Amino acid sequence: MALLQISEPGQSTAPHQHKLAVGIDLGTTNSLVASLKSGIAETIADENGQHLLPSVVQFLANNDDKSQSNYQTEVGHYAQKNASKDPLNTIVSVKRYMGRGLEDIKKHSIYNFVTEEGSVVPRIHTIAGDVSAVEVSAEILKILKQRAVDALGGDLTGAVITVPAYFDDAQRQATKDAAKLAGLNVLRLINEPTAAALAYGLDSGSEGIHVIYDLGGGTFDISILKLTKGIFEVLSTAGDSALGGDDMDHAIADWILAEAQINEPDAGLLRTILDAARQAKETLSEQSATIVNIDYGNGKNWEKELSAQQFEQIIKPLIRKTLVPCRRALRDANIETDDIEDVVMVGGSTRVPLVRSMVGEFFATEPLVNIDPDKVVAIGAARQADVLAGNKSDEDMLLLDVTPLSLGLETMGGLTEKVIHRNTTIPVARAQEFTTFKDGQTAMAIHVVQGERELISDCRSLARFELRDIPPMVAGAARIRVTFQIDADGLLSVSAREETSGVESSIQVKPSYGLSDGEIEGMLKDSFSHAQDDIDARKLREEQVEAERVVEALSAALAEDGEALLSAEEQAAIRQAIDELIEISKGSEHRVIKLKIEAVDKITAEFAQRRMDASINKALAGQKVDELK
Amino acid sequence: MSNIIKNKHPDNYFSLLGLPVSFVIDKNKLTSNYHDIQKSIHPDNFANATALERRLSVQKAAQINDALQTLKNPLQRSIYLLSLYDIELGENNNSVDPAFLMEQMELRENLSQVSDKADPLAELDIILDDVKSRIKQINSDLETLFQQLLLNEQKDDELLKKASAQVLKMQFLNRLQEECLNKEDDLAEQL
Repeated sequence: MALLQISEPGQSTAPHQHKLAVGIDLGTTNSLVASLKSGIAETIADENGQHLLPSVVQFLANNDDKSQSNYQTEVGHYAQKNASKDPLNTIVSVKRYMGRGLEDIKKHSIYNFVTEEGSVVPRIHTIAGDVSAVEVSAEILKILKQRAVDALGGDLTGAVITVPAYFDDAQRQATKDAAKLAGLNVLRLINEPTAAALAYGLDSGSEGIHVIYDLGGGTFDISILKLTKGIFEVLSTAGDSALGGDDMDHAIADWILAEAQINEPDAGLLRTILDAARQAKETLSEQSATIVNIDYGNGKNWEKELSAQQFEQIIKPLIRKTLVPCRRALRDANIETDDIEDVVMVGGSTRVPLVRSMVGEFFATEPLVNIDPDKVVAIGAARQADVLAGNKSDEDMLLLDVTPLSLGLETMGGLTEKVIHRNTTIPVARAQEFTTFKDGQTAMAIHVVQGERELISDCRSLARFELRDIPPMVAGAARIRVTFQIDADGLLSVSAREETSGVESSIQVKPSYGLSDGEIEGMLKDSFSHAQDDIDARKLREEQVEAERVVEALSAALAEDGEALLSAEEQAAIRQAIDELIEISKGSEHRVIKLKIEAVDKITAEFAQRRMDASINKALAGQKVDELK
Repeated sequence: MSNIIKNKHPDNYFSLLGLPVSFVIDKNKLTSNYHDIQKSIHPDNFANATALERRLSVQKAAQINDALQTLKNPLQRSIYLLSLYDIELGENNNSVDPAFLMEQMELRENLSQVSDKADPLAELDIILDDVKSRIKQINSDLETLFQQLLLNEQKDDELLKKASAQVLKMQFLNRLQEECLNKEDDLAEQL
């Protein structure tokens, strides 16, 4: 049982071990999983040779009483077929509900939403119980995970999951929660258009500025990227997280309802009409006319011809709506249409000819459609997953992405003060100073929002938190420095410190539309049949893996930089800490291992800092010479 | 050259990105240095590293991003340069020359009347060009002022005052330019 082998400098502890990592496109309509096979990223098919998994989850009646919350579900093609027969238990386009409150999702939805006592998250009432969007998405992810494990023949190191660039913090957090629930280690959330660019740019190797126009089933994104020597730099991104092919279906459905003079259809009929609308949209993307046929199910039916021209009239306003963000993205990137190398079309909805012609006209260039718009996102994600898992190839590529929405705070009078502007490269950290306005004040409420508008009520509420334990002082004397950080996943975290006393204030961030930690924990518990044992076992394994990681990383770091950056005593202290950690991680108490890891972190923080600085100096070496004198 | 700043702020954004302290920036060098540094410390290099290294790399990458944003933009860059001389702008806005303020009011009034004109977009272009050429002029003034400042071994309060006044003007003009572009967006959407 060799837990550790100290390696020679430049030698990895586990040579040539290719780590299994996947890219997942968790789409509104369809989802895919892809991985790298001998250098080529490919999507993985199911046992029937199907690559696309319809993002449809049907919840079945629970026969098995003892595992109440272990849902029995059908996911994919079979569930899609059942959607009109069992509309209320078959969840379609769940992505639209991720990270959303009840108010946002009620329109256009046939489901019965409920909110539980003490939770802000809307749940869909089904025959198997009330389920949140996070849980529904987790069911889709579980299937994709299993598909990948079967095809690749081993456990996954991790996954890169794509999200629309225009997803806000709550929507991203919800996606990460769903992955956690499905037992996936998320290496990174990346933006869909960026993933598409990765797939596309590496194939063509073309330098310059590229526009990715991504119109999916339920979301629209526009991203402008600059590609220089393996660096993908997102210049700007804009979009609409509630606009997509679904809206075309709804527009056609409205036409059917009006023409067929149907008032107040029930859920089943509405599903039938929406399916017919989608069918018509797909046919009209290739033909000049189609017959729309609605089977009422009672032996009667209705039909009428819909021409491509009528269809285009119906959907034109929706496409025009996508050009507004396009203009904004161009402006934020500070470029003109002349600067653009090409426009890449991504997402199934870009198959509609009118989309292609209007976008082509706007950017004054013929859009590129040579990569399968359904698969390109998953393929790009798989490439990034491979890099992040540590299977670095010679081509060193780096992704520099941006935050899509401005982050602000509520100030007096319900106005927004922006702290981090949209299209700022992530990761990013900004600090803001606050003070007390009453003598002896020991707490303060802070409201964080995301959005571009001046009024708080027009922005999306992200979190409210309270700064507590501020030492009592006269009004205006306290200096509370609150730091907002957006990490490489685009997720927000907040920390605070009272500067005059050095007191770290406790912060409780309550995501406005997110699941609380307790709720997530509860769901995780429920997903195991034997509660506590399994959770302890899982936590132990997690801590042991982290301990191994720490040991491995530190040993490699010592071998590489120990002599150069540390004194003999410092090296000895770190060696001793490593040995102790190895010993302790053999035990069975996950808490003890965790504490030891934290202790090791403290001892080695200075070393890590020096290494980071040294690597910056190395990166700049040969460039400064005499300019800095 | 610029010894005062170098001694007082050894970790300033310029040295962080491997550039000399100066108002005039070699943009290509700024970008290529930035890329080289991010290639070595970006969190993507640490996705499988320890929690400590992941945290440090996020912090460092955020700092480098902030440095780039600050140095890339002439207004941000000049505000930052002044801050290295311990000058915080924004508190004494009264120091702006009254004649300049009058001009600003005129420009703003023209902007507010653009929508009523026969060809609003063309009218807007005229204002926008005017604003841009004013910004350009201030840029070249600042270039000279900062060059003199940084050559001095002593802190020159008179020069600093002049530079601050120019930076305040640039702040006004940048805001006006922003409003012009917003207007342009609004007009384009109405078409």
